[in-house]
Amino acid sequence: MIDVAGLTKSFGKAREVRAVADVSFTAPGGSITGLLGPNGAGKTTLLRMLATLVAPDGGSATIDGRDVVRDRYAVRERIGVLSDARGLYQRLTARENIRYYGGLHGLSGAALDARVDVLLGTLGLAAIADRRTQGFSQGEKMKVAIARALVHDPATILLDEPTNGLDIMSVRALRDQLRGLRGEGKCLLFSSHVMQEVAALCDRIVILAQGRVVAAGTAAELVTQAGTASLEDAFVRLIGSGEGLAA
Amino acid sequence: MSGSAAGRIGTVARKELTDMFRDRRTAMVTLLSAIAAGPIFLVLIFNLMANQADRARELRLPVAGRDNAPALAAFLERQEVTLTEAPADYEAQIKRGDLDVVLVVEPQFERDVAEGRQATVRLVFDRSRDRARPLIDQAESLLRAYNRLWGQQRLVLRGVASSVGNPMTVEDVDLATPQQSGALVLFLVAYYGLFASVMGGMAVSLDTTAGERERQSLEPLLMTPVRPAELVVGKWIAASAFDGLVVLLTLTGFYVTLTFAPLPPVGIPFLFGSREFVRFLIVLLPMVLLLPAVLLYIGSRARAYKEAQANVSVLLFVVSMLPVVQLFLQKKEPAWIALVPVSGQYSLLNVALRGEALPLLQLAQSYLVPLGLTFVALAAVARLFSRESVLVGK
Repeated sequence: MIDVAGLTKSFGKAREVRAVADVSFTAPGGSITGLLGPNGAGKTTLLRMLATLVAPDGGSATIDGRDVVRDRYAVRERIGVLSDARGLYQRLTARENIRYYGGLHGLSGAALDARVDVLLGTLGLAAIADRRTQGFSQGEKMKVAIARALVHDPATILLDEPTNGLDIMSVRALRDQLRGLRGEGKCLLFSSHVMQEVAALCDRIVILAQGRVVAAGTAAELVTQAGTASLEDAFVRLIGSGEGLAA
Repeated sequence: MSGSAAGRIGTVARKELTDMFRDRRTAMVTLLSAIAAGPIFLVLIFNLMANQADRARELRLPVAGRDNAPALAAFLERQEVTLTEAPADYEAQIKRGDLDVVLVVEPQFERDVAEGRQATVRLVFDRSRDRARPLIDQAESLLRAYNRLWGQQRLVLRGVASSVGNPMTVEDVDLATPQQSGALVLFLVAYYGLFASVMGGMAVSLDTTAGERERQSLEPLLMTPVRPAELVVGKWIAASAFDGLVVLLTLTGFYVTLTFAPLPPVGIPFLFGSREFVRFLIVLLPMVLLLPAVLLYIGSRARAYKEAQANVSVLLFVVSMLPVVQLFLQKKEPAWIALVPVSGQYSLLNVALRGEALPLLQLAQSYLVPLGLTFVALAAVARLFSRESVLVGK
């Protein structure tokens, strides 16, 4: 479970760029929470703070009760992150890439081997497991990055725009994976600027615009709240301008 | 399932080493050039020296105006010098490097002698040409010997003992052991050993830092439980191991060549046996630890591999210039030089090559600063990796 309360972060020499301003929301276990917002809404910064990479200026965030600043290494042991940057080691095979992260999470020996085999199987990577990732397609690279993020079986999973650059087949496969993880009781936080993606997958939606939460709830609640006919109209209405259309 | 710091460091080091050797082309080029360059280079130098020695042994001296001083010509021929007629354009040929040295006897030589004036011969050469130097020296000393002999004969004719005109004789007593005479080769071997410790760690250190950032694999790595310091130490262990391997191969190349290869005899019993091999390793160890750490620092400050390469040229310049400065500094080195990284090592390598035991105090001093700097460099990289700015502007 992710609990965010008044999280704030600014960048720049004089802290003049407010990337995230007073954001609060809760993402429970066993569900997929969507973080929806146009480009530049602060989604990546928010996820980086939850992933303990960037320290907030104000507010707090906990993951399963552990503070992302004070207990950052305890948090890192409990989260799996598919970040905006998802570079693989091209000279290593898919299996070696995944094993490396397993080793950093303290896994070794037969336990690590077994876990990597399970992931390669469920993600459909078994056939290319021992090939170098150099020539992999976007979809294959994405799967390896997901397997790498899940190698230690984390309870909380953060995904930053996971469908970027994927074809429709890969997107569907990814959705099935994420639903499967939800079925296992994981807490998933999924960021996207594509409304249809979020609508298709998420149980709850948090809409971000200019670093602030402008609305939160299920798709039906958001439509009611905005008084519009569709979620798309609600999205545009809620973010307060036509800028969502550009995305 | 958090694991231990040592476990994570080991995981990083193992992964980095695998990654380094997977980059076949870079690894092969680095390792092969380390093995091959030493031998090739030594064979070239030895042939050069053998040529020089041959030239000095059978002196051929072109003379212009030989008939003007028949007695001098006869003296030179008695000293087994082959006299040839100098071409008319000898000055141009010397400038071009086709001729090394020419003896010129002016037409008035005999008249000056007959009238009791001091006569002049001219030795024409270009001293900037290294290979001409032994010839020039030999020709000069022969002419001086002739001058002395002639003067002595004149004194004897006047009934004066030859010691009156030569109150002092100079005898050469060269205290250099045979190994000491090949100063240039010594310089090059020591220089090459030092250079190997920079070049060996370069590609791998930059790839694992600047390359990691460029490939966008650093950010996900920093979201795992690995601490920045563990990450840096793991990378450093791998880079130093690779660097050490390159140094080891380079020295092995020298050792095998100098011990077993049929090198032309150049009159220098040059020592690079197993004792020197071990001493070289002892002296170079702090460099193998320090230089990869510095390279990691340079690499982690750059956003891309190319940017890092440009910054490394400064380090290369310093490391390659320090020994050269020492070589041309024709003074005894001050004691504090042992504390200066690179210079201290260079000075100790020369001690080892002269066949002397390594002075322990100087050796301890040569470890002190590099080990301290290694620690500083690694701490700086760890700091960089824990800063948010490492993520922006990727």
